[in-house]
Amino acid sequence: MIKLKNVGYVYMQGGPFEKTALEDINLEISEGEFIGLIGHTGSGKSTLIQLLNGLLKPTSGTISIGGRVLGQKGTDMRALRFDVGLVMQYPEYQLFEETVAKDIAFGPSNMGLDPKEIEERVAFAANMVGLKKELLSKSPFDLSGGQKRRAAIAGVLAMEPKVLILDEPTAGLDPAGRDEILFKIKDMHERMNMTVILVSHSMEDIAKLADRILVMNHGRVEMFGTTDAVFQQGQRLSEIGLNVPQITRIMDGLKQKGLPVPGGIYTVEDALRVLIPILKPEGNPLC
Amino acid sequence: MLKDITLGQYFPGDTIIHRLDPRTKLLLVLVYMILTFSINGFLGYLILAVFTFGCIFISRVPLKFVLKGLKPIFVFIVITGLFNLFLTGGDPVFHWWIFTITKQGLYFAAFMILRLVFLILGTSLLTLTTSPIALTDGLEHLLSPFKRIGLPAHELAMMMTIALRFIPTLMEETDKIIKAQSARGADFESGNLLRRAKAMVPILIPLFISAFRRADELATAMECRCYRGGENRTRLHELKYTKADSAAWLCFLLLAALLLALRFLPWTGGGAAL
Repeated sequence: MIKLKNVGYVYMQGGPFEKTALEDINLEISEGEFIGLIGHTGSGKSTLIQLLNGLLKPTSGTISIGGRVLGQKGTDMRALRFDVGLVMQYPEYQLFEETVAKDIAFGPSNMGLDPKEIEERVAFAANMVGLKKELLSKSPFDLSGGQKRRAAIAGVLAMEPKVLILDEPTAGLDPAGRDEILFKIKDMHERMNMTVILVSHSMEDIAKLADRILVMNHGRVEMFGTTDAVFQQGQRLSEIGLNVPQITRIMDGLKQKGLPVPGGIYTVEDALRVLIPILKPEGNPLC
Repeated sequence: MLKDITLGQYFPGDTIIHRLDPRTKLLLVLVYMILTFSINGFLGYLILAVFTFGCIFISRVPLKFVLKGLKPIFVFIVITGLFNLFLTGGDPVFHWWIFTITKQGLYFAAFMILRLVFLILGTSLLTLTTSPIALTDGLEHLLSPFKRIGLPAHELAMMMTIALRFIPTLMEETDKIIKAQSARGADFESGNLLRRAKAMVPILIPLFISAFRRADELATAMECRCYRGGENRTRLHELKYTKADSAAWLCFLLLAALLLALRFLPWTGGGAAL
């Protein structure tokens, strides 16, 4: 569905501050996949997702999304943006309308939908991100940080995109808010068969949610594979400034200490599942 | 579209022109501007051109970059040229319908265009080779004698520094907001004037809010570090005149002497003949 071929991107090409952000990217993502995108700061993650949304045009190579070829003459870029919803970093700074409902409706009304449909979508999207009805008539600037974030995400969801890209949607949120937003995203992905690309610095979140993980390093694709395949290469990950989930490190440590635990544990839930039977027979009071 | 703004753009380097004291550069540009307008002959402009392009060459700033500064005022230059060309009285050399071109008009138009071009080139070279911080530092020093008559030199320089400092930040912010709203299908390019003006609202409101937020945060941060204005404040980088500054002044004195001689001494014919 999403296909990138030899894609490169250079900022300020020809100027004194020319900077290569992406080089020779080849990717294929099929419909309904949940992709986790990781990489250290400046590895080209943000550039890549802006290319997928058509906000930037590749300086080399081709990108095709759902049969549309980006940058080609006759490709309707606005229609593409309605298909590929992008939630940028700190999306709450883009809120501008008088009420939350109007702000969520900005995308759908740009699509030219009729008012009734827009109203339904606003209600649906607000419900999806867990915004209470009474908040919809408030000014977005009166909301709390977490609520603003949700309102901004709802603004993109209301366009009902086929592909949803989120750039660190939980940065700066408290743990409860973070878990809830991630849960909602997973829920949407399953209920609407949405393709999701999630950029995150939290290996734990990625391990919990993603089907496949895309690792970027210095503007190139370092790894692209299943959670297992990627997190097995802990050595290489730490070389490029990343890591495996904390629980994986703990489990590896336990294994070295002689506990009979299997490898390939990436979430706390999985760890509990294997640890309890190991520890319980000895009558450990903690279990 | 925001990348085209070259205002105050600094081209980092480590040439003798970059290292000159900002006070020297500011004053020399002032002298340069006066010289540019005092020349009244083509030989003078030839000398000025050699000098200017020589300086650009020494500064290692690509010529293309300096010339880019001319682009925004191109229309202004053309209009000024046309006004001088058609509206100067004197000996006609060409006449068609209501348009008359005179010999004097040709001279004035050419001079005016050259003056504007050199003015821009000279000032561009100043901002390209001097970092905004050095520039405001120099300005503060040059303005400090006027403190006695109540001019808040330090505060003015501080305001300028902050304003310059936030130009790239706000441009980045604008870029981000434009992208975020385009991702939601905002359309800034089609429709009539009113529609386009309305399309700016989703950009301007978030931009203003973030500018105010940043101003607030900066004020708090400055308070936290006990900022209390210019009184008894020392600086990290003391401005110091060096031999290079004396050399630069000498070069300019020679240039000025040459150009003024060309204009005022009788045996050069006032320069206008050439």
